[in-house]
Amino acid sequence: MKPESQPPQPAARIPGQDEAALVARVRAGDRTAFGVLAERYAGVARRVARAVLGDPDDADDAAQDALLSALVKLDQYDPRRPFGPWLLRIVANAATDRRRRRKVRRVEPLDPALVAGGARPDATTEQRALSERLRTALAELSHRRRMAVVLFDVEGYSHAEIAAILGIPEGTVRSEVFHARRRLRVLLADWKEQE
Amino acid sequence: MTREPLPFDHRPDPALGAALRQALEPAEGSHTAFVARLLARVDDLRGTGSWDRVLARWARVGVAAAVVFSLAAGYLVGRATAAPARPSVAEALIAPRTPVVEVVLASVLGN
Repeated sequence: MKPESQPPQPAARIPGQDEAALVARVRAGDRTAFGVLAERYAGVARRVARAVLGDPDDADDAAQDALLSALVKLDQYDPRRPFGPWLLRIVANAATDRRRRRKVRRVEPLDPALVAGGARPDATTEQRALSERLRTALAELSHRRRMAVVLFDVEGYSHAEIAAILGIPEGTVRSEVFHARRRLRVLLADWKEQE
Repeated sequence: MTREPLPFDHRPDPALGAALRQALEPAEGSHTAFVARLLARVDDLRGTGSWDRVLARWARVGVAAAVVFSLAAGYLVGRATAAPARPSVAEALIAPRTPVVEVVLASVLGN
């Protein structure tokens, strides 16, 4: 089963005016508005955190910490700028900090058959197996490279926005995306050839 | 998806993006629980007042630091203005000195 080839549909893209109004309501202490904001950005925050941490529970904890931290720091947010990159910078930092703090890296052992491209699983578990391989391949990349490719190809952020999120030059983002893609595409090509 | 990308390809790769999204997507149905847990944490922060406490603590630390700084600065300024002006080297050399009694006596006895 091949993944659907659709352009990235970044859930985090919210019309600027709507977003600014929402953030203003949150600043004024509107809990419901924060709920709406969290609802909209939870997906991207969790995915980015998972790209860094691997473990879904760790990633959720990091995403939660980041969203709470964003709420506390909301006065520092410049409403003339898009909210997504500002929030994702906090998410990226929270996930990276958590990753540093984690003494023992918990990586679930992968089925050797999947790593070596052995016998293919049946159709019902095929997608899951591909996802597993992708997560393993992601884990082999540096965390910055992972975030760069996920923010670019999954979430649809521009190189400039990713540079702002990760606090690195735009040229470095391009390079990171390029190298990450090259590695992941090899993996996906192998997978496709086995079909 | 298998084409070799240009070094600075500015277009997102939809196939790779979709595969990665699927790989990173949290468990189905966990989204609502995630947001609910987050809002509960917000309520906890507000309910216990810990948020206010954190801010108040920082405010207290700031005030204490300002007080210490002001006291130190006041002490230094006061000390600088209250201390007698030190004579210059020239003043020290030409200043008339009152002879000490022992020196006068020693001088007389010696003669």
